[in-house]
Amino acid sequence: MTIPTFTGYDTALRGLQAEQLAIDTTGQNIDNASTPGYSRETVDLTESSPLALQAESSVNSGSVNLGTGVDADTISRIRNQFLDVQYRAQNTTLGNANATVTSLTQAQAAFDEPGTNGISAALTTFYNDYGNLADDPTSTAAGETLVDDAGSLADQFNSLSSQLTAVQTQAGTQLTDLTASNGQLATDANQIAQLNGEINQQLGSGSDPNTLEDQRDSLIDDMSSLGTVSVTDPGNGLLQITFGGNSTPLVDGTTVNWPPPTPTAATGGELGALASLSDTSSAGAISPYLTQLNTVATDLISTVNGITNASSSSTPYTLFSGTSAANIAVTSGVTASTVITGGDNSVALAVSEIPGSTADTPDSTYDALIAQVGSDVKSATSTQTNSQALVNAVENQRESVSGVSIDEEMTNLLSYQQGYQAAARVLNTMSSVISTLIDQVGAAS
Amino acid sequence: MRVTDLMTSQNVLANIESDLNQVTTTTDQLSSGLTISQPSDNPYGASLAMQLTGEMSSFGQYSTNVQDGTSWTDAANTTLSQINDIVGRVRELVVEAANGSESQTDRDSAASEVNELIDEVKQEANTQYDGNYIFSGTATQTAPYSAGSNDTYNGNSGTISRQIAPNTTVPVNVNLSSLLGNGQSSGDGLLLDTLRTVSADLTGGTTANLNQLQTTDLQSIDTNLSSLQQMQAQVGATSDRLTLAASRITAMTTNDQSSLANDEDVDFATASTQFATEQASYQAALKAGASIVQSSLLDFLSTA
Repeated sequence: MTIPTFTGYDTALRGLQAEQLAIDTTGQNIDNASTPGYSRETVDLTESSPLALQAESSVNSGSVNLGTGVDADTISRIRNQFLDVQYRAQNTTLGNANATVTSLTQAQAAFDEPGTNGISAALTTFYNDYGNLADDPTSTAAGETLVDDAGSLADQFNSLSSQLTAVQTQAGTQLTDLTASNGQLATDANQIAQLNGEINQQLGSGSDPNTLEDQRDSLIDDMSSLGTVSVTDPGNGLLQITFGGNSTPLVDGTTVNWPPPTPTAATGGELGALASLSDTSSAGAISPYLTQLNTVATDLISTVNGITNASSSSTPYTLFSGTSAANIAVTSGVTASTVITGGDNSVALAVSEIPGSTADTPDSTYDALIAQVGSDVKSATSTQTNSQALVNAVENQRESVSGVSIDEEMTNLLSYQQGYQAAARVLNTMSSVISTLIDQVGAAS
Repeated sequence: MRVTDLMTSQNVLANIESDLNQVTTTTDQLSSGLTISQPSDNPYGASLAMQLTGEMSSFGQYSTNVQDGTSWTDAANTTLSQINDIVGRVRELVVEAANGSESQTDRDSAASEVNELIDEVKQEANTQYDGNYIFSGTATQTAPYSAGSNDTYNGNSGTISRQIAPNTTVPVNVNLSSLLGNGQSSGDGLLLDTLRTVSADLTGGTTANLNQLQTTDLQSIDTNLSSLQQMQAQVGATSDRLTLAASRITAMTTNDQSSLANDEDVDFATASTQFATEQASYQAALKAGASIVQSSLLDFLSTA
């Protein structure tokens, strides 16, 4: 059996190289321990192909396989694609809930209820003013207060209506920004398409595009908060990404199909939420509040005017003008002297009798509206809390698989360091063996 | 499950955040004294709180109305008693003059007293409360009767009401003209007419006059006295109704206040206990975070 003299050197060298690569990879992992989206890497070590030696034994006439050490073939990233799918699904729900909660909370704050500054309190003040006028129907002070308070009640309707419209408009602007050709969706899609191309090339040339894949996964995660995302991998790195449940993929390999169809509530994610929030039709999230508010305003106008302008009244007048919450106002020309009716307090009395009676639809509709807004915000907030908890849970699982553990890396580092030292010792031993051979046997005379 | 450092720190952070969130919520509740500061805290409760607040504010208004109404009935009551006294005095004069023992001079002076009393009655009818004539119907800026010989009623028969409860109003004025009437020229037999007749009969002094004083005049005075007392009873009943309404309003306000307190007020005992628990858990999370996140295997490996 003949063993090539320098085989041992090669074996030791391969060991040194493999351990060095492992130490370098450990270093890379430790460096990126807190990098978002980083997947830990490991060196895939395999035994290198053995050397078949002819056995020269009387017992074994076959061959002996001499191991030649270790091969470090590839550096792969540790990642579970199924967790990515789960993460993105939850992230879409979370993105949707976040946008919804932000806008609805703004809308809720605009109502400023319950308290002393909302429409509810202003309505009560208004009715009480009529009560005071009924007690003293000739008092200019009572008339003045009434006209002033009716004006501020109308103002409150106007300002609430415009604040709600502003929340809608804001959502619309945000939606336009996100879906613009330089918006987040387009940027993500373009970068993914570019990375697709680069990853495809690297795979073709047989190298490991770990860093690029991490980047691409982060981008897809980012995109999933905007709307539903589904990813198809044909195996060559040219991912096909369907966005918002549309039939045409948004990213198809290196191509971006821009622009995508206009987002609707079905798009999911932040875009779906914004589409619904900015929708001014009855299907929108905010528009029913405006419709209800308008009902309150028109009810108030018709109920009050119905009394003040009744044909039976000796001095009929139209207190409120306007047809919606946005334009309700005290009719121009109505002053304290208009509402003072002399000794007859029947009109003032009739208006002050509205609260608590069956004609009190403005109050009851408004109360129902507040309860509606409150429950919407509450349910959106609880969806947000739940999806945040689920995102955290999946994130934890993903981190458990792909995250860097310093303890683990330190342990690995120790074993690789010792492996390196041992391989060096092997080389040292080989060297001394060979030098013995050369010095003692082959000494030139 | 494989646990990494990032997981630990993220979890610790998430827990600290959620603990702090709870502590903040409880602090808000404790400092404001309210469990509902926005509708989403409790949508039904918020709507109920608004209804109750509105209702209490209405009760406040009813209470003002009742006070105002009571002033009206009190003023009316005083006036009616005065008129009652005056008519009583006229009756005395008539009874004295009718027995025929008095001289014409005596009857003339009685007649001039009656004439003064008539003016007094009209003055009483012109009683004002807060700048309003309370016996003019809804023509509160017009005096019901003018001084002098003209006894025509200048007001109207309108009703003035006060709201004292949801869907409930009470008339606070009485139609005094149904008692006083329009004087002698109308011949309506009501108080002023009767008094003028009495005065004329006293001045006349004939047997027929004296006879009339004894019979129809006295009867007429008694009829008017009884309708006056009826009117007094009516005012008294309204006054009672207002007093009753006042105590009902107080009871209902108290009721609403306690409902509102149940609905939106913080139970301080529970909230304080909860606060202490949450604070302890928050501090524990902070402490755990501080000691766990700091260390790793690195701290225990000797540097080579």
